[in-house]
Amino acid sequence: MQGSDHSVVRAVLAGDKDAYGALVRAHSATVFRAAFRIVGNEADAQEIVQEAFLRGYQRLEGFEQRSSFGTWIYRIAVNCALNRVGKTEIAAEFRHGEESDPEEKTVQVAAKDAGPERVLLSREIKAAQEVAMQRLTPVEKTAFVLRHLEDRSMSEIAVVLGIAPNAAKQAVFRAVQKLRRELAPLRGTA
Amino acid sequence: MKHLSEEELIEVYYGEGGAPAVAHLAGCLECSAQFAELQRDLEGARMAAVPERGAEYGERVWEALRPRLVPYEKAVGWHRIFGKGWAQWRVAVLTVGCAALVAAAFFGGRMWERHQKVTTTATNADPQAKQRVVLVVLTDHLDRTERLLVALEHADSSDHAENAQMQSEARELLASNRLYRTTATNAGDPALAGALDRLEGVLAEVANDPNLTARDLQRVRDEMNTEGILFEVRVLLARTPDQGSRLKPAKGASI
Repeated sequence: MQGSDHSVVRAVLAGDKDAYGALVRAHSATVFRAAFRIVGNEADAQEIVQEAFLRGYQRLEGFEQRSSFGTWIYRIAVNCALNRVGKTEIAAEFRHGEESDPEEKTVQVAAKDAGPERVLLSREIKAAQEVAMQRLTPVEKTAFVLRHLEDRSMSEIAVVLGIAPNAAKQAVFRAVQKLRRELAPLRGTA
Repeated sequence: MKHLSEEELIEVYYGEGGAPAVAHLAGCLECSAQFAELQRDLEGARMAAVPERGAEYGERVWEALRPRLVPYEKAVGWHRIFGKGWAQWRVAVLTVGCAALVAAAFFGGRMWERHQKVTTTATNADPQAKQRVVLVVLTDHLDRTERLLVALEHADSSDHAENAQMQSEARELLASNRLYRTTATNAGDPALAGALDRLEGVLAEVANDPNLTARDLQRVRDEMNTEGILFEVRVLLARTPDQGSRLKPAKGASI
């Protein structure tokens, strides 16, 4: 796949614009998945896919033939998503409330002495997780998503985010710690 | 026993923990309980499922993207040799050109510096010779000044022709005297500078008086102590060229 990707890149650079379609078709689902996991909604993720492939096309001359096009475009997409998350930073916008209500941006958190309604509790845990994810910085969130959901290694995360491997590791640690802190009130009832 | 930190537990969870940490976890109840809690938290954090994208998704993305793309210039001829097209080759040529320019400027600078050094060295090769030249010129100036002062001491005020010649000589000497005085001051020779300064006063008086009368000459002789200045000039003349260092007399030296 990598070899054919490289020949497609050469064809595009030689003036065959339509050859780029093959790369878009091959990698758009992967790019969408990463973008969705970072930004958390479908519309934004679709825009990021478009933006990533457009940027990729414009910078194609800078693409080094020894690397994988898939990794390269993935990195561009993560950066686009990271920018998007940074722009629409809504950290700490949610607050604890009587009920979980996305419109009111409130999250109901079960008291430890509440009755163990597992379905309700499950919803509360999800809501708490969402709040925790919102409270992460863009880098922490992206590092966590790439490690936890995309199963990328720390060194890959470091490359994608353009930071040192140790910084990537620390970002993942901080994300997990924040997530667990948010879930701590629910732990006794789970 | 040292238990595992939260960071170590996270590392183990992601399969990046070291063998000692894994071994400790296997034998420590407390750490195992902590690890189980971590697992529960993180397993729950799988978040919303990613919406499925069908096989046609890539095609839709491409159709939306295609009109926005401008084709790269078609590579022709020998540009193909360079794989990534003319743009990268052009960058390479520009880079090499810039490097060559920088190198040329560097070596040019070195050559120029060396040439300058040689010239300067040649000029400064014999400082004593230079000083001898200065002394010869200065001696000539002082000789002419001495003659003028002697003439001034014995001037006949009624001889207008002689007075005019003396004034003309004084004007010439005044200009060069200013130059020598400035040079002596800059060179840190207060004795010479002082003598030339006093001499300048006399020369200015003689040169600038439109009608040099007998009374004027007498006044200059009296007020400006031309006899004393003449003595100073003679002492200065006694500085022979081979005593070049005398151009820089000891501090406080006075003539």
